[in-house]
Amino acid sequence: MESTREIYWNVGHGIATLAPMYLLALAALGLLVYGMLQRVKVYRNGKPLNRTDEPMARMAMMMKNMVLQSRVLRVTGPGVAHAVFFWGFLLLVIGTGLIVIQADFTDLLFDIVFLKGAPYKVFSIVLDFAGLATIVMLLGLMIRRWLVRPKGLETGSDDIVMHGLLLAILVTGFLIEGARMAVTELGTELSYWSPVGMLVANGLDSLGGATVLVLHRGLWWFHLVLAMLFIAIIPFTKFRHILTTSANYFLADRGPTGKLTTVDLENEDTESFGARQMTDFSWKDIFDTDACTSCKRCQDRCPAYSTDKPLSPMQVVNQLGELARTDPGADVIDAVGRDAIWSCTTCRACQDICPAAIEHVNKIIELRRNLVLMEGEFPGEEVMTAMEQIEVNGNPLGMGYAGRGDWAEGLGISTLADDCEVEVLFFVGCYASFDKRNRTVAKDFITLCHAAGIKVGILGKEEKCCGEPARKMGNEYLYQTMAMENIETIKGYGIKKIVTACPHCFNTLAKDYRDLGFEVEVEPHAVFLDRLVAQGRLPIREEQFTCTYHDSCYMGRHNDIYDAPRSLIEAAGGEIVEMEKHGDQAFCCSAGGGRILAEEKLGTRINVKRVEMAVETGAGLLLSNCPFCLTMFEDGVKGAGVEEILRPRDITEILVERLVA
Amino acid sequence: MKLLVCIKQVPDMESKFRIDADGVWYDRGDLAWRMNEYDEYAVEQAVRQKEQAGGDVTVLCIGSDQVKETMKKALAMGCDRGVHIADSHSYMKDPYQIAAMIAEFARDKGFDIIFTGMQSQDRGSGQVGVMLAELLDMAAITTIVDYTYDNGSVVVQRELEGGVKAKVKAALPVLVTCQLGLNTPRYPTLPNIMKAKKKELLTIEAKMLQSTDSMQKTVKMALPEKRVGGLFLEGEPDSIADRLIAILKEKTSVLA
Repeated sequence: MESTREIYWNVGHGIATLAPMYLLALAALGLLVYGMLQRVKVYRNGKPLNRTDEPMARMAMMMKNMVLQSRVLRVTGPGVAHAVFFWGFLLLVIGTGLIVIQADFTDLLFDIVFLKGAPYKVFSIVLDFAGLATIVMLLGLMIRRWLVRPKGLETGSDDIVMHGLLLAILVTGFLIEGARMAVTELGTELSYWSPVGMLVANGLDSLGGATVLVLHRGLWWFHLVLAMLFIAIIPFTKFRHILTTSANYFLADRGPTGKLTTVDLENEDTESFGARQMTDFSWKDIFDTDACTSCKRCQDRCPAYSTDKPLSPMQVVNQLGELARTDPGADVIDAVGRDAIWSCTTCRACQDICPAAIEHVNKIIELRRNLVLMEGEFPGEEVMTAMEQIEVNGNPLGMGYAGRGDWAEGLGISTLADDCEVEVLFFVGCYASFDKRNRTVAKDFITLCHAAGIKVGILGKEEKCCGEPARKMGNEYLYQTMAMENIETIKGYGIKKIVTACPHCFNTLAKDYRDLGFEVEVEPHAVFLDRLVAQGRLPIREEQFTCTYHDSCYMGRHNDIYDAPRSLIEAAGGEIVEMEKHGDQAFCCSAGGGRILAEEKLGTRINVKRVEMAVETGAGLLLSNCPFCLTMFEDGVKGAGVEEILRPRDITEILVERLVA
Repeated sequence: MKLLVCIKQVPDMESKFRIDADGVWYDRGDLAWRMNEYDEYAVEQAVRQKEQAGGDVTVLCIGSDQVKETMKKALAMGCDRGVHIADSHSYMKDPYQIAAMIAEFARDKGFDIIFTGMQSQDRGSGQVGVMLAELLDMAAITTIVDYTYDNGSVVVQRELEGGVKAKVKAALPVLVTCQLGLNTPRYPTLPNIMKAKKKELLTIEAKMLQSTDSMQKTVKMALPEKRVGGLFLEGEPDSIADRLIAILKEKTSVLA
């Protein structure tokens, strides 16, 4: 006889089984649809936003992240457990689906039975192992949640219901299988194709045939009710993430990474800027809150959270979600709290790691925009002063604008006003222009360019702050004012290529200015110099040294530039001892998000923490390629009391020392 | 209530100053311009006064066309209308001439309270407000650091030497000159910046106002002579301390 099994064995395939079963299924699906429609109503309170362009690419992104669990797997441990659970559960769902198709359609209507013979054996063993893997992973996750209790992991009644229900479904599944096998399969060759089932069957066998039959029938209905309950409660528990998180992969921001929306300031009908209540956000921002599973990966990586500041990206998302559902007209700034809103460094660690593709940073910026543009509020007077300095002198440091090009005196470079026939425009940035420590970097960069025979020009006093700190602080108006002035100046000279020494300038010119009609190619100095070295145009001698390298947020997570700086360091003979948090997991220096303008008054110092991480590597040199980072580290080594053992430097400084004359 | 606030556009003090060719004022090239710091307190207080008791705030500024930029900030902060007295040579006028120009404009307007900065950051004479009050025959209270308005009179605190403060009360009309510490000027909100662009900004040619002769004249302006620079002591704390004591003994009498 061909290997197969009788579907509906012992429960019957008549109307007495099918009618209640399909009624239950219908009720469950009805609840699912009803529950989700209730939530869709909440999403619709948000403002319009197009997130369905390029549907094929979006679909591919969704399949990758859902089926392959790519984002989930970025964190090992719970990530692997979730992925394996997901795959196992998916197989079980597919298996159950196949049974439904055969029993209630193909077999019923056309006498077609496909779950037989060799395919049935494969079906049987695959599902058996899938069930086992699923139970093991679930138990592992339950041990983690209730016994290991990782810091910050919040467990509520949702979690008890979800884990309990899943475990009950899986266990009853095996019990039903075992009961059936105890009566029909034990002792046959086929039973070996369900090893776990066989084990259960052996256990149940001693109960005696009659008891097992009763047990089986009872469990079958119980299992069915549990499965239908699972479907029904999806919208009402975190189970909804099965739908919302998957959908969020489809609806995710398709880049450029971290680019903010450019506010139309000319539109006279706009009465309010930024977000004060949930209805000021886009529907996607509200949807995001429903995709959150409170996995706390964002919170674990947030530099503000880990230095005892009142910001947790996860909490913000949850607070927004709560308001969206209960009181969309309530004051969201009060709910989240100003200190939380101002604490963000826009380092993107939260958004980058989020397995649900939630966009945290732009939400914070929207709240800041409301505070600044509608209330004139800043985290402190020093920030307001810096804003006024940018307005008056085009730099937040308050230095006279006319002295912006003074650092370049005697270096043999001219301003574009004097000579605009240059290969590249060096957009110097405020810190390299005015800050004594960072002026060295600017000078070194010019030395390197000259060594490579590249004619560089600067804007001098015509250059203004790129506007980045203002923009990230929520001051979109000041940002656009600065941006338009810079764009007009640069366009006027017909420049083809710009190199920046500041990742914040780079990100702003290369991404944000695009919305304002700026098309010039922009490159960060590390990438530019790396290519010169690779091309043999910049002769650098290898001279061994050990260092650690800090990925600035705006080079790394915001622009995916991890290799060029490292290859430069290696070209100079550097051996990099990586910090534990490096690459896309790098820990912020504290200066992003306009925080460079603000005093850090809450919690402990982020820069000190980062410097301490660098000290742990044992390397005496902390290399970076961002003036904000350098400023923070120079301050951080003093704060940590490690001036004697750790020296923060920019990569250009290392290169200049190794320049072959 | 009719309120007037007088402001001046001055160079940012971080600018590189050079003496101009005539040798009596600074060169106006390569400077960043902004509202005189003390006038920001005056604008803020005028707007707060309006917010408390209602009224209409006129902001007045004398200078070339470029001062309109600074006036826009005052309008964005909440002033209702602007009066620009166009005079591209106002920086050559003495405080009395400036006060006289403002007085002539203000005389028949019936302002209840006039707010000015206690002095300008560039000329720093500290006279315009006081003379304006005199010319308009109203009370003047200078260098105020606290301000309250109640039922037709203002009660202010003036900063005296040594941290002592005087409380002064005056019935309207009154002129106050504002000092650091009075308030924190607001940062204009975007809707107010947009509204400011549409507010009335009336320009009056200076020559339309009767001119008065100057009572004083700047003879010469010069940058301070370079003195010996500071001395940096470097090295171990012990040796720095020893050298510091030696210097103090040798060059000062503090340890005598």
